[in-house]
Amino acid sequence: MSDHIDGPRVIGDPVADITDLFAFTSPESPARTVVALDVFPGAGAEAIFSNALDHSIAIRRVTVAGMGDAARFQASDQELVRFSCRFGALERSGPAAKPVQRGTCTLPDGRTLPLVVNEAKGAATADGVFRVFAGLRSDPFYLAWETGAMRKTPNLIQHDNVLAIVIEFDTRRVLEPDKGSLFGAIGETVPVPRPGLPVGHPPPRIDWVGRPEQTNVRLNNAGLKDSVDLRDLWNQQTPFAIAPEVKPLFIQRLKESFENYDMRDGKADWTPAALAANVNVFFDDFLLFDVTKPITDASHLEIEKSTISGRPYQTGGGRTLDANSIDILLTWLVNRDREFLLGGATGATKPGTKVFPYLAAPNTELQVVAESIDLAASPAKVWSLIGAFGASWHPLVATVRLTGSGVGQLRTIETVDGKQIVERLDALDNAKRFYRYSNVSGIPASSYTGEFGVKPKGSGCTVEWRAQFLANDQATFLVKLIVSTLFKVGLGSLPARFGAMK
Amino acid sequence: MNEAELHGGRYAVTDGEIAVANLQSARRRSWDRVSRDPMAAGAAERIVEEEQITLQFLGDVGALDRLDALATILGQLDPASARTALVQTQVASATHRFAEARCHLHEADCRGASRQATDRLLLNIDQACGARADAVLDARRRMADESNGLEDLVPLGALLADLREFAEADLVYRRALAVYQDVSPFALAWVCFQLGVLWGELVPDPQAERAADWYRKAIACVPAYVKARVHLAEIHLRCGEAGDAEALLMPALASGDPEVRWRLGEALAAQGKFDEAEGQFAAARSGFEVLLDKHLLAFADHGAEFYAASGELPKALALARVNVENRSTRRAVEQMDAIASLVTSSCEPRPNGVPG
Repeated sequence: MSDHIDGPRVIGDPVADITDLFAFTSPESPARTVVALDVFPGAGAEAIFSNALDHSIAIRRVTVAGMGDAARFQASDQELVRFSCRFGALERSGPAAKPVQRGTCTLPDGRTLPLVVNEAKGAATADGVFRVFAGLRSDPFYLAWETGAMRKTPNLIQHDNVLAIVIEFDTRRVLEPDKGSLFGAIGETVPVPRPGLPVGHPPPRIDWVGRPEQTNVRLNNAGLKDSVDLRDLWNQQTPFAIAPEVKPLFIQRLKESFENYDMRDGKADWTPAALAANVNVFFDDFLLFDVTKPITDASHLEIEKSTISGRPYQTGGGRTLDANSIDILLTWLVNRDREFLLGGATGATKPGTKVFPYLAAPNTELQVVAESIDLAASPAKVWSLIGAFGASWHPLVATVRLTGSGVGQLRTIETVDGKQIVERLDALDNAKRFYRYSNVSGIPASSYTGEFGVKPKGSGCTVEWRAQFLANDQATFLVKLIVSTLFKVGLGSLPARFGAMK
Repeated sequence: MNEAELHGGRYAVTDGEIAVANLQSARRRSWDRVSRDPMAAGAAERIVEEEQITLQFLGDVGALDRLDALATILGQLDPASARTALVQTQVASATHRFAEARCHLHEADCRGASRQATDRLLLNIDQACGARADAVLDARRRMADESNGLEDLVPLGALLADLREFAEADLVYRRALAVYQDVSPFALAWVCFQLGVLWGELVPDPQAERAADWYRKAIACVPAYVKARVHLAEIHLRCGEAGDAEALLMPALASGDPEVRWRLGEALAAQGKFDEAEGQFAAARSGFEVLLDKHLLAFADHGAEFYAASGELPKALALARVNVENRSTRRAVEQMDAIASLVTSSCEPRPNGVPG
């Protein structure tokens, strides 16, 4: 999944784990470029940047050094631009005050820009050349494949947040595209050295990323059985300068991986020479973008693909927040763009926005559990057996006792493991086969409301069960798991009674 | 003491307060994810890791209830998978139900779990139970040599300490500190705590100041490290520094760990605050009773220590026996023998005129 949790070493400190790198033209101004680095997969609402890391985005000028089967991109020996962000410990203005985290971004011209984490407007230099945001945002990435089996899934990181660093700058003044408009970007997290560190001691890099999926899809191909996990070794390499002694190891792995992907659909779409060109291009791992050409949601990897195909590239490549990067990559590797492979989701939890900092606001802690099942019986038949508020049909429910009648009535549920849940009927519509209820006791969550209904579907019906409640304490996530299990087991028992929809 | 100095002094580690906030944040998200899709690849396994860290460092004993719930739910939804059996093994191990853990591990093996996964879990169980000591030591040495990583060096150090190879254990722990290059403070705090236990409790002639220094380093890495606070407070209490012990324990009260209440009661009593102390002792007793009721094997040794100190020797001895039957490690046996001696001496007739 992009670069999320891409090695045993980073699992130890998820805040050092880079998830994604983006490079695109500013939605607010075509004269400006945006680069963004995300860390901390699955960050919750309280997530904070580590104060022991440098979070950097580095950019080098790149040239096309070969085309077709000789395709290759040559990065300059010199780093053109580096943005480096560091963050401090938490600060409190008083014992009850919410803690604040401050940071600084060191800009390519050596200036440092102070910023406050989670301040949506970010910080800008007085001359307006640079603007920087750092804070919690909705994860813009989406992965809807089980890549080992090439099985479609829902978005595996739906509702997730990340800690994002978004940097926008004046393209002309910072990148000087007149001297060459093609660039390669990488993002990295490196421990902060203590003062007095002997010169020449290289810092132990924790994670870095160029193009998405170098580690989790290309190097760690789930289709290669019993292969050694090379992700930590890759993460510790120096971007733009992979150690020569380990290069053959990575080249061999990429070759095996690409051969494997090519045959996922049973058809060989790549000649050995073209496949080797892919290996060479993807081994040089940096996110390519050309600031003089259009960077769109569809242009991701176009520069690489055109060059490998022996023709000049037409777009600015890069990677927008809404780029379907995983499907673009899999389509290329599996069938060489013969047929687009669309995964099980068409977008992230929230799309990117048109306003700085462009990544959508973080996902909230409102908990929703929703389950449904299709049955091969008429809605009326199903509703007649399970639609009554006091109906006893659930395998985890021992008894249901009703108090009162109609809207307002209470049902007291005794579960098979001895728990008692009391719920109130808030709304009932037998014609539409629907009722809504709220929890009175037994589920330690506030504002808990549930909805249960049966809808027609083809020759059968769909039973839908949904609940939402507020996350107001540590136990809430456990409650959510219990509720979702209650729903799953209940609905899962119905096909045996009514038949499953074919 | 700057925690960065712990690992060669070259790099900083994440501030402990930030690391704890991020742990809680990630744990909440993981539960959210698993509630949406309990079968999601890696989701349950990640919760097991995060809850274990929460228990180990923050003393949040509710982690065991949550882990049990997770294992139960996986058992309901996916009863026949190797993955469920592996998670159930880890949960049973975390609650020290080692016989049950071995059963689950056998099930995982039968269902096709990877040999690497089952071997590693078996090694952990054997070490915790004091079983197959030579084979476990060979395996630990091999793994530590191969990876030279903190995650393999610390279990080796712990095993060496159990086997009374104290000098080598100290070297291995220090090697773990030296090789560590990550930024998580939890790993460093863990090694420092182990060194504190080694020099403060395991060696034949405990060195209180040396142990206290390591506990202080552990707390410098992770200020919320409850066990480190408790152990350091014990040293302060033995040195007659009850005020220092109280100051150390107060921030850990919210953890719910009854050992905090117990030691705080001792600190208060030592300062003559008997009413307050009684309240803490009562809370500690109540806390231990609840925990022993729910997770007897996980807290049998701690419960035995508490009841022995409270003068309830038969209850303490019974718990120590439960612990030995569950895992006959050297420490468990020594604890049982020590309590048995107390029981014996308390039963011996006293000379005339000596008050009881």
